[in-house]
Amino acid sequence: MRQSGGVGTRILAVEDDERIRTAVKLALEDEGWAVTEAATGEDALLAFQQEPADVVLIDIMLPGIDGFEVCRSIRRGSDVPIVMVTARADTHDVVAGLEAGADDYLTKPFAPKELSARIRALLRRARTSEVSSPHLRFGDLEIVPEEGVVRRSGRDVHLTKTEFRVLVELAQSPGRVFSRELLLERIWGYGYFGDGRLVDVHVRRLRTKVEADPANPRHVVTVRGLGYKLRV
Amino acid sequence: MGRLSIRRLFDRRPSVTRRLGLRARITLAFAVGALLLSALLSATTWALTRENLLNQREDSAMVLVFQNARTVQNRVSPDTDQQALLSSLSTPQGANPILFYDDKYVPRTPEFGQDALPSELRDAVIAGRPSQMRYSLRGEMQLAVGLPIPSVDAAYFEIISLEELQSTLGALGVSLVGASLVTTLAGAALGWWASRRALRPLSGVSTAALALAAGRLDTRLEASEDPDLRPITASFNDMAQALQDRIEQDARFASDVSHELRSPLMTLAASIEVMNNQREDLPDRARAALDLMVADIDRFQQLVEDLLEISRFDAGVARLELEEVHLAELVMQAVSHSTDADVPIELDAALAGAVVHADKRRIVRVIANLLDNAGKYGAGASGVSLRRVDGGIQIAVEDAGDGVLEEDRAIIFDRFSRGALAGRRGSSDGVGLGLALVAEHVNLHGGRVWVEDRSDGAPGARFVVELPVEDHE
Repeated sequence: MRQSGGVGTRILAVEDDERIRTAVKLALEDEGWAVTEAATGEDALLAFQQEPADVVLIDIMLPGIDGFEVCRSIRRGSDVPIVMVTARADTHDVVAGLEAGADDYLTKPFAPKELSARIRALLRRARTSEVSSPHLRFGDLEIVPEEGVVRRSGRDVHLTKTEFRVLVELAQSPGRVFSRELLLERIWGYGYFGDGRLVDVHVRRLRTKVEADPANPRHVVTVRGLGYKLRV
Repeated sequence: MGRLSIRRLFDRRPSVTRRLGLRARITLAFAVGALLLSALLSATTWALTRENLLNQREDSAMVLVFQNARTVQNRVSPDTDQQALLSSLSTPQGANPILFYDDKYVPRTPEFGQDALPSELRDAVIAGRPSQMRYSLRGEMQLAVGLPIPSVDAAYFEIISLEELQSTLGALGVSLVGASLVTTLAGAALGWWASRRALRPLSGVSTAALALAAGRLDTRLEASEDPDLRPITASFNDMAQALQDRIEQDARFASDVSHELRSPLMTLAASIEVMNNQREDLPDRARAALDLMVADIDRFQQLVEDLLEISRFDAGVARLELEEVHLAELVMQAVSHSTDADVPIELDAALAGAVVHADKRRIVRVIANLLDNAGKYGAGASGVSLRRVDGGIQIAVEDAGDGVLEEDRAIIFDRFSRGALAGRRGSSDGVGLGLALVAEHVNLHGGRVWVEDRSDGAPGARFVVELPVEDHE
């Protein structure tokens, strides 16, 4: 696996509009990152196969296979952080993109500075997920933050880096209620104005992996009106 | 043009009747019609009945008069006691015989003597012509009959009271007038009912038009079975459809334009940022030009974002994303992330822990836009306050500017109203959609927004957002 430091960080940008793609590439390169471009979903998957990136930026509106599908395909074999670019924040696209496996999203037109900040937060998350406390156990759930491993009933569960961070955040203070705002700040670096749906969809995805019955969660539970907590 | 010609259609009537409503006019027409018809019928009935009754009465009276005349003819002589003769005659009640004999009038009752007879009748009878006539004597209707009896050189008169008949006719007249009145009232009632039936479809049209005006553009009239109403229904629905198409087209256009603007805007924003990273390497003139671009690309992006936002309201697709929001924290966070983070916040103690259902993103934009507005036109916000009022919560933003003139207070929330307010709240900054969006966001929450003078009497404007809250602890 590539070391995702500041220098040598590789970003795959998937965008069909050539001028936007070029401008974004220029802006990201100014941050010191290497940018690989892809104009279609097919090109993107091929490029990712040949050389996995540290962060993938995907525009949902693509000719051929769309951004959701690209996202799902990459997710099948990788926990690489993915940022989706959607047309609007208040459409179903956002939830669909997150459910397809995206870690974060931006709406067009976004400022490149905003994109860099998102990418930096994702890279930081990817790094910090490897430094943490010892072994944690909750019933059939076993978390080893140092190794980045989660087991349910002795079996390895494959989580994305963001899902893992959500679980570890909750697990480090078991029983404590985390508001969506707090989780947004701790994990995404958004603070108060982040989109609560980021948390909701990630928790939902997390549950499908760590809960025996995701519809009736035993570990990651909702505290109505307040947020989420990990039940001891 | 259209409005004028339609008005003209209704302008033809004289102004007096036009002052009455259509329903009143129809009712009046029915009532007048019923009155005329019943009056005509009553008058005819009365006249015919009167004639009939009088003729009957006269005929029966004549039979007796002839009998009496014959008796007189047989019995009168210079030696006869004329009074006794008159008394022996059989007369119906109310009949008064008068004998003319020997150039003298002899009445049976003194008050019905020679003077009680009309002189024309007397003259005609004396001249030898049997006569009869109706006349009024001392206010009562009488029938006078006179028969010459040439064989004895006499004449026999009788004055028969028609008073009984008169009162019968009077009673009939009263009941006919009563019947006419009842008929008139019935006509009016019928007119009222008929006009209501006829106008009922119009009230449907009015309800539908109100609904359209309130923004429910898919309002249509139900297709009518009535062949007379079908064209109205059809043309109303056509109009509503055309209106809806037109409005949706406009809304789509704004949305499409903004969508189309995003891609080039995205490229521009990224490119300008790349250039800005090399700002120090640029010659002075290029750097000055770049600074202009940097400043305006933000405004441009904000404008496109606002246009998109507002076009969603116009298209009727704006939806609230309600969640439980800790209101005091929301306001504090919104202020601290705004362009004016140091504004003092005054918080009603009763609201310290209040949780409301609201669309966080929209409320944040409302506060940000109000603070922005205060910064651009009000010399900066001087305070933000949050307090509980009856049935809701008020968020107020006060500034230290010149305030808003009374006549501008209604239009200040219109789109691009900066144009209309030019010179009064003039500034080259800002895009003019900020306050319009505030109003839209607040309306979507079922609240309202207005501007007033500052509460402490100092010069400046106070923008108040009132959001309804259901009471729950």
